[in-house]
Amino acid sequence: MELANLYQSINLIIPEIVLSIALIVLVIADLIFHTNKKIIPFIAGTGILVTAIFVINQFNYIGFAFSTATHTARSFGMLAVDSFGVFFKLIVIVSSFIIVLLSLASDEIQKTTDRIGEYYALIYGMILGMFFMITATDLILIYLSLELLSLSSYVLAGFTKLRDRNSEASLKYLLYGAVSSGLMLFGISLVYGLTGSTNLYIINTLIQNPHINLFTLSFATILIFAGIGYKISSAPFHFWTPDVYEGAPITITAFLSVASKAAGFALLIRFVKTVFVSYETNEGFWSLIEVFDWQSILVVISILTMTLGNFSALWQNNLKRMLAYSSIAHAGYMLLGLVVLSNQGLIAILIYFMIYLLMNLGAFLVVMLIANKINSEEIDDYNGLGFTSPLLSVSLAIFLISLTGLPPTAGFIGKLYLFIALVDAKMIAVAIIALLNSVVSLYYYVRVLKHMYLVKATASTPSIIPSTSNAILLLVLVVPVLIFGVYFQPLVEFAKDCIVILGI
Amino acid sequence: MVMLTEFGKILIFIILAIVFVVITLFLNKLIRPNRPTYEKKKVYECGENPEGSPWVKFNIRFYVVALIFLIFDVEVVLLFPWALTYKEFGVYGFVVGIIFLLILALGMAYEWRKGDLEWARPEPKPPILDDLLNSNKSEERKK
Repeated sequence: MELANLYQSINLIIPEIVLSIALIVLVIADLIFHTNKKIIPFIAGTGILVTAIFVINQFNYIGFAFSTATHTARSFGMLAVDSFGVFFKLIVIVSSFIIVLLSLASDEIQKTTDRIGEYYALIYGMILGMFFMITATDLILIYLSLELLSLSSYVLAGFTKLRDRNSEASLKYLLYGAVSSGLMLFGISLVYGLTGSTNLYIINTLIQNPHINLFTLSFATILIFAGIGYKISSAPFHFWTPDVYEGAPITITAFLSVASKAAGFALLIRFVKTVFVSYETNEGFWSLIEVFDWQSILVVISILTMTLGNFSALWQNNLKRMLAYSSIAHAGYMLLGLVVLSNQGLIAILIYFMIYLLMNLGAFLVVMLIANKINSEEIDDYNGLGFTSPLLSVSLAIFLISLTGLPPTAGFIGKLYLFIALVDAKMIAVAIIALLNSVVSLYYYVRVLKHMYLVKATASTPSIIPSTSNAILLLVLVVPVLIFGVYFQPLVEFAKDCIVILGI
Repeated sequence: MVMLTEFGKILIFIILAIVFVVITLFLNKLIRPNRPTYEKKKVYECGENPEGSPWVKFNIRFYVVALIFLIFDVEVVLLFPWALTYKEFGVYGFVVGIIFLLILALGMAYEWRKGDLEWARPEPKPPILDDLLNSNKSEERKK
C-alpha cells in the first residue's frame, strides 16, 4: 500500500473519524464530569450533527478508499464511497439523532443517570459499526463492522437492568448473534477458499469463471446471508426479534428496528449488487451471473418473512412486541424491492426506508411517552386513551395507518412504489401476496385504535399530555408522514439521486 | 489402483489413529488385572488426599483482569509491524502510533476511574465465640 494512497483515503473516512473523536470526547467527559451528567447527551447530539455535515459533503463523490492492489490497473478498495452509502449513512444519522432526543424523554434511560456516559458511548459504537457496514466492500471489513455493531447492541439491549426481561433480551440477542456470525464467518472462509480473495469486486470477476464449484459457492453465500439476514431479521433468522424488542429499553428497540436494519439492508444490497450482478441493462435491470439463482431464494425469503411477521403479530397483546413483528413484516416488504433486481426496485427501497424511519420511530415515541406515564405497553391498558389524551392517540393512529400503508399517509407511497416495481418486473403473483399481507396487517394495527377509541374512557383512564419539547418532536415526526403522503415528489427525486452503487 | 489425493492420505491417517487407540485400550482392558481399592478409586491430586470439591467459583474479577491483559497483548502485536515500518512512515506514522496508544491509555484510565480495577475484598468478620460453638454443635449433630 502506498503512502500517498493512504493519505488520500483518510480524507474519505472523515465522517467516521469525526464520530470516533466525538466518542473519545464523550468518554473523557464521562470521566471528568463525575456528578453532573447533563452535558453528555448534549455532546452526543452535537457529535452526530457535525458528522452529518461531513456525510453530506460526501454526496456525489465516488471512489474507493484503502485500495490494496496497486500493481493492477483496476485497484479495488476496502471501502466504497458513493451516493448509495451516503443515503444510508444519512438514515443512520437522522435516526440516531432522534434516538438521542428519545433517550432524553425516556424515564427508563433517565433512571440510569450514573451510567449515561456508557449508554451514549455504546450508541456511538453502533453508529460507527453501521457506517463501516454501509461502505465496506471487503468481507473481512464487513465481518468486523458487523461485530462492532452487534457487540454494542448486545450490551445496550440489557442496559437498564430494571427487569429480568432486560437481561433475557441481552442474552438471547448475544446467543443468536454468536451463532449467525459464526455461520457467516464460515461462509466467508469458504468464499475465500474458492476465490482466494476477500474483496467483493475481485470475487465478482472470479465467480464468472465457469469452472467454479457451484455447490460450495451457493452454500457459502447462503451462510453469509445468515449473518446479514440476522441483522435485518428476515425469515429463518428472525426468532430473536420479538424477545429482544420487547425486553430492550424502548429507545434501543427503536434504534435496532430502524438504523440497524438500514445498515443490514445497505450491506445486503451492496453484497448482492457487487458480487452477483454482471452488468446493468439499459432499462435498469441487473443481470445476475449464472452461478446461483439469488432471485428465487430472495423471493421465498421475503414472502416467508412478511407472512410470518404479519400472522404472528395478530396474536400479540404487548404493543412493543407487536411492533417487533410488524418490523419483521416490513423487512419482508423491503426485501421485495431487492427481489426485482432493478434500479426501480432500489429506488422503492430507499423511498420506503425514509418513510419507515419516520413512522416507526414515531410509533415507538408515542408508545414510550405512554409507557412513561402508565408504565405498561399492554394494548388493554390503552383503553379509552383516545378521549383523554388526544394528541398522542391521534399521532399513534396516523403512524399505525401509515405502517399499514393506507392513503393519505406516507406509508402508502412507500408500498405503492414497491408494488409498481414488482409489476414492472412482471412479478404479479408476488405483488398480490404482498398486497394480501398488507390486508392482514390492517387487523392488528387497527385493533390498537379500537382499544383507544371504541372503548369508553373510565375515571381511572390517565390523561397524558406530553411536555412541550416532546410534543414538538412528535409533530416533527407526524407532519412529514402526512405531507409526504400527498406531496412525495422530493422523496422520489432524492431517492433517484442516491442509487449510484460503485460498480465495476 | 485408486490414486489418493493429499486429503485422502490424511483421512487414512485419521482412521488409522482412531483404530490404533481403540485397539490398544481394548487390549489393555483384556489383559490387565483388575483389583480396585478405596485409595485407587480416589481422584488423583498429586498424591495428596483431595480437599473439597474441584468446582470452585473463581472471582469474576479475574475475567476483568484477563480482558485488560488481552487489550494490551493485542496492542503489542500491532506495535511490532508499526515499529518495523517506522522509518518509512516518518513523523506521520509516529503521530498515528501515538494516537493509537493514547486511545488505549484512555480505555485504561476509564477502567481505573470507574473502579473496575478495585479488587472486591471480603469484609473482615471478627470471629465470635458463640457462633463458633454453635456451628461446631450443628456439625456434630450432622455426623
